[in-house]
Amino acid sequence: MSHAITPSQTIGPFSHEAWEWACAACTPANADGSDTITISGVLRDGDGAPVGDGMIEAWTPGAATIERERDHALAGFRRVPTDDEGRFTLVLGRAQEASCEPAALVTVFMRGLLVHQFSAVFLEDDDLDRAALLNQVPPERRATLVARKTGPASYNWDIRMQGEQETVFFDYGGAP
Amino acid sequence: MQFDALAPGSHPGLIYPAYKSTVKRGPTLPPVAVHAPASLKTNLAPPTSLLLPFDADLTAQGDGAPLGDKIVVTGRVLDEDGKPVRNSLLEVWQANASGRYRHKRDQHNAPLDPNFNGWGKMLTDDDGRYRFVTIKPGAYPWGNHDKAWRPAHIHFSMFGNAYAQRLVTQMYFPGDPLFEFDPIYQSISDLAARERLVSRFSLDETVGDQMLGYEFDIVLRGRNATPFGL
Repeated sequence: MSHAITPSQTIGPFSHEAWEWACAACTPANADGSDTITISGVLRDGDGAPVGDGMIEAWTPGAATIERERDHALAGFRRVPTDDEGRFTLVLGRAQEASCEPAALVTVFMRGLLVHQFSAVFLEDDDLDRAALLNQVPPERRATLVARKTGPASYNWDIRMQGEQETVFFDYGGAP
Repeated sequence: MQFDALAPGSHPGLIYPAYKSTVKRGPTLPPVAVHAPASLKTNLAPPTSLLLPFDADLTAQGDGAPLGDKIVVTGRVLDEDGKPVRNSLLEVWQANASGRYRHKRDQHNAPLDPNFNGWGKMLTDDDGRYRFVTIKPGAYPWGNHDKAWRPAHIHFSMFGNAYAQRLVTQMYFPGDPLFEFDPIYQSISDLAARERLVSRFSLDETVGDQMLGYEFDIVLRGRNATPFGL
């Protein structure tokens, strides 16, 4: 028996208060950089204008196990709103084992985006040749998923909805 | 872990010019079809301590009763094979009976209700069922075009049991005269898919002389993702 999936709709402009509980609950207690990394960037639309009402979610399953042991309320998960300048900052737990995994699987939401978009962010100093997910992306577009190092545990990664450097978004229905 | 490719028309087009904000915000390139990594099998497991007593009764969050028609909304969250999606976090948010959101950017000239925030959250049960009590939201203007009024709707956010099941959608009410004028609703090209967003009135779920009942079932991606349901 096959059931047709429910269509997506935009989060609209008024989701922030309803989503705030998770933004608060998923802030890591220990963000001194010893076992976290910070990825910050700007979410931009097709004109390059910052998207000031967006929401970014990040999921790092490898870090979830560690964070669960520390009683983190939403282990492995982050939800952050963009600010008026479109900026977002993700403080992520570092997955210890596999440097070829993405630093985080990322979901992008905003007013005017009818279907939320799945993406992922990789770190430029990780072993990207072995990154199975990244290697399914056409080579000329891979750079849009790679965060550039800006400090000992900090990185920069912008998300562009359209344009020459349009971020790669995924459909997870690809053949194995 | 495996997901089927999305059937055409399941989701709205990403750029739908009648809904102006999509023009610069929807991606222009098709999504890159990838085999889901194993890590997508897992998802967040929110501790029940995060669910507050009145999260599933949006009418009980203030000091008194909110204005408007009290309703109950219930349904099942299933995957593509009809298996229940269990213990899964679901969030809802909506306007009040006057069509006003409790949000700093909502400029609609309608009153805020001091007894209604308009948001809640809950987990699905072992049968994949959710249920919450709320106020029927009002229609509201949104400035997209001349006489642009949104049909009454409740926003739903679902996490599913696997990362790729994540879905955000809106539930509408049966027989709304605004459907044919609303570009957000119309952005779904497939008529049958569009109708899947309309709840159905349920006398079974109606509670005595207190509230009308509406049923809204939700189907997430995930064929072969959760062999026995999770």
